[in-house]
Amino acid sequence: MARQDDWMKKNLYKPDLMEVLEVQRQTPDVKSVRVRFRDGDRARDFSFNVGQFGQFSVFGSGEATFNICSSSNWKDYIEFCFRRTGRVTETLWQIGKGDTIGFRGPYGNGYPMEAWEGRNLIFIGGGIAMPPIRCAVWYALENRAKYGDITIVYGARTVADLTYATELDEWSWQERVRVVRCVDPGGETPEWKGEVGLIPTVLERAQVPAQNAIALVIGPPIMIKFTLPVLDRMGLKEEDIYTSLENRMKCGVGKCGRCNAGPVYVCKDGPVFTMKQLRSIPNDF
Amino acid sequence: MTERLRQTARRLLEEGNVQVVIGYGASGPVFITRPEDADKLEWNDRCFANLTVYLTRKEVKALGKAALVVKGCDERALVVLEKESQIDRAALYVIGMACDGLGAAKCVECQTHVPRFADEVIGTQAEPPAPRCAPEPNGLDRLMAKSPAERWAFWTAEFARCVKCYACRQVCPLCYCERCIADKNRPDAIDTSATPKGNFAWHITRAFHLAARCIGCGECTRACPAGIPLGLLNQALAQATEENFGYRPGMDREAEPVFGAWSPADKEDFIG
Amino acid sequence: MSTAISVAALGELIAGWIGQGKLVAAPVQVGDRLLYQALSSAAAAVFDARRRPANSIKEFLFPRHEQIFRYRLEGKEIALSDVVPEEREQIVIAAKPCDAAALPILDRVFNWDCEDSFYTARRARTTVVTLACAAHDDACFCTSVGSGPADESGSDAMLFDRGDGQFEVKAITEKGRALFGVSSAEADDGTLKRAPQTKFDPARVARYLEANFESPLWKDLTLACLGCGACAYTCPTCHCFDIVDEGNAAGGARVKNWDSCQFPFFTLHASGHNPRSAQPQRQRQRLFHKFSIYPAKFGSTLCTGCGNCERNCPVGLGVLKVLQAIDGEARRLDEKEPVQA
Repeated sequence: MARQDDWMKKNLYKPDLMEVLEVQRQTPDVKSVRVRFRDGDRARDFSFNVGQFGQFSVFGSGEATFNICSSSNWKDYIEFCFRRTGRVTETLWQIGKGDTIGFRGPYGNGYPMEAWEGRNLIFIGGGIAMPPIRCAVWYALENRAKYGDITIVYGARTVADLTYATELDEWSWQERVRVVRCVDPGGETPEWKGEVGLIPTVLERAQVPAQNAIALVIGPPIMIKFTLPVLDRMGLKEEDIYTSLENRMKCGVGKCGRCNAGPVYVCKDGPVFTMKQLRSIPNDF
Repeated sequence: MTERLRQTARRLLEEGNVQVVIGYGASGPVFITRPEDADKLEWNDRCFANLTVYLTRKEVKALGKAALVVKGCDERALVVLEKESQIDRAALYVIGMACDGLGAAKCVECQTHVPRFADEVIGTQAEPPAPRCAPEPNGLDRLMAKSPAERWAFWTAEFARCVKCYACRQVCPLCYCERCIADKNRPDAIDTSATPKGNFAWHITRAFHLAARCIGCGECTRACPAGIPLGLLNQALAQATEENFGYRPGMDREAEPVFGAWSPADKEDFIG
Repeated sequence: MSTAISVAALGELIAGWIGQGKLVAAPVQVGDRLLYQALSSAAAAVFDARRRPANSIKEFLFPRHEQIFRYRLEGKEIALSDVVPEEREQIVIAAKPCDAAALPILDRVFNWDCEDSFYTARRARTTVVTLACAAHDDACFCTSVGSGPADESGSDAMLFDRGDGQFEVKAITEKGRALFGVSSAEADDGTLKRAPQTKFDPARVARYLEANFESPLWKDLTLACLGCGACAYTCPTCHCFDIVDEGNAAGGARVKNWDSCQFPFFTLHASGHNPRSAQPQRQRQRLFHKFSIYPAKFGSTLCTGCGNCERNCPVGLGVLKVLQAIDGEARRLDEKEPVQA
């Protein structure tokens, strides 16, 4: 039996069972979920780097790829965020405390938090791009002395579409943290006190100092396309601008071929890339 | 005939009436957009493909107004496509090739050696030629003579080789759904797996979706890399369609499609 | 010393293996097609050095469908159970060298960083006995990608058809020796004169690909492609796969199935964005993956030149024509501006 057990342990496709601790509704179509390993040993041994992702299972519906949006310093649970958009997420929308889902990971390269030490951090995100930024923000705040100024420029179509709104507030009160919130024109409410405008415009207006800075930009391709020239004008070099790619994935470990784009497998060589690296990837993702 | 075909293509392109001539080349379908390339067109006994399949593919539609080379068997698909509003027949220039058979099994019983609805026919065929090959060993009659249990065993053995490559679907001119039911997971109606369940579900569903529409070009059978005689499923349903509704898809441009029409004369004796 | 074995003796060996409960696969005549299949009787095996089966042997190491675990749904409780791997030894006999040569190529991706134990377990319990080729057809191009009619890569033993009903046996690995009970013997193959001429230069092709992702060639060459998976599924080296759950409200299995980059929804994102929404883009990906990306990453071309893609393509496409056109274009450009070696 030992030989069989050994073989079972090596089954890279078999997920860990996770207990759902809490589900929070972030926006009308986005929820965040906190889960912990049902297996205590696994929970103890588990670690990851912020920026990595997992393949989360809803048994019977399939797997979906989500960034682990909690800080790697938090040991009691991991968190992910999802938009209700397809078969797996539709079923995921129905889960609640005590339910069981699956998790495979951590996969991907994560953010180079060590390389970013000593730098000023500029986080730019749109809509459901906040979760993959959130983990990096918390990590940096928990290692505050290692990082310089932190600027977060975050926007969504409407006020209701902003995720982690309360944490944005919390961050804005931290030392040397500046939070710029925005919504698209027409997305504001009468009480809205943040910016109104598309992210590239708001970013330009914000006049963020860019010396010794790195930028992490996450969002839909069109947002990134128009944000890059602004960053360029701010003086940021391509090797200092990072993004996290989203691709259709299945195995998560560079075998099934689905996320292969040009010379990279997004699941293994990424999903975090600098703009300089992205230039070498043809427009095939 | 090849020379006449090339001349026709050259003329059509030079006159600017069409932007692309879709025909057969030396080793497969060709898309001729320049008159000087017309010499790439061929007509020989390897012209198996049913080129009407390209009329619903967006990359080909993007080339502009087309002229299409068809055999009499392929042409039936044009009739169905037109009836189902998938092509604008008036915008298509059909070059019909009179064909004396390509030596394929389907040619033996062919009744449409000369295209009937083409804008221009190249070649003539006075009378059907002598068959050049024997009928299929698993012809429909032989299959239907078996008991249901035997037929189930037959298809189980055949489908065991299916790898779900969907070549049968992709070559079929009438499988033009932008998103096939097999590609949907809400609901997950057909297992994508190449298992007995998944394979039966796929092939039966496809046959159903082609019932009273399949024109019997046999491309599905020819395309199958595992050599499964898929056309037999469609032939069985085509036979039932003819027996019950007197309808043969693609033969008559005026006939209403079975599933698109209702008549008080439709039989009801199968309803409980 | 002659290590020749007769067809009859081979048949007896096979019958013996089957009798021992091993899975033996060989080319089998199915209607008008030659296909690799698991044998139920030794008599069905076809030893024809002049023909190549329409499918590939990857099926036996990387099946078209397999369960990777099972799950039971009981309210909030989910129970996962493992799929017990088969312990059965497998022997693939009379495989083509272009099929065997694919296995060391596949080994790389299935062992990249973490191991796909489903593949490696099958690989470990499979012995591959190839039959060197005595002929080739126009679709073959093994010699253009560094292989050949008697390529030993991936073979545990190789048979050579002497033409008189006897086969020379060359044991290449320990597994091969264990199977045939002979020590390694040099066998006169004389197959080199039956090797196809090289038809393109893969290095030149790779150079062109690297510099020409966007090129009108893609549309021109691949417009005929109908987007089925016949090429990928009959290819010895294509290995893309899908993972889905199949079952009902009580439970089911998570399964791994063959997939192909040629299908329209292969790269469809949840957002609705599809980076490869047109067939020429998908064809480009196949060519790139095989002749540029995989070589750069794993050190080997993801192709053994077997020609199955062309033979099985409903419209006669396949990779060879496209490669020759690319090579021709690359050569033309090189002549205008010679590449510094």
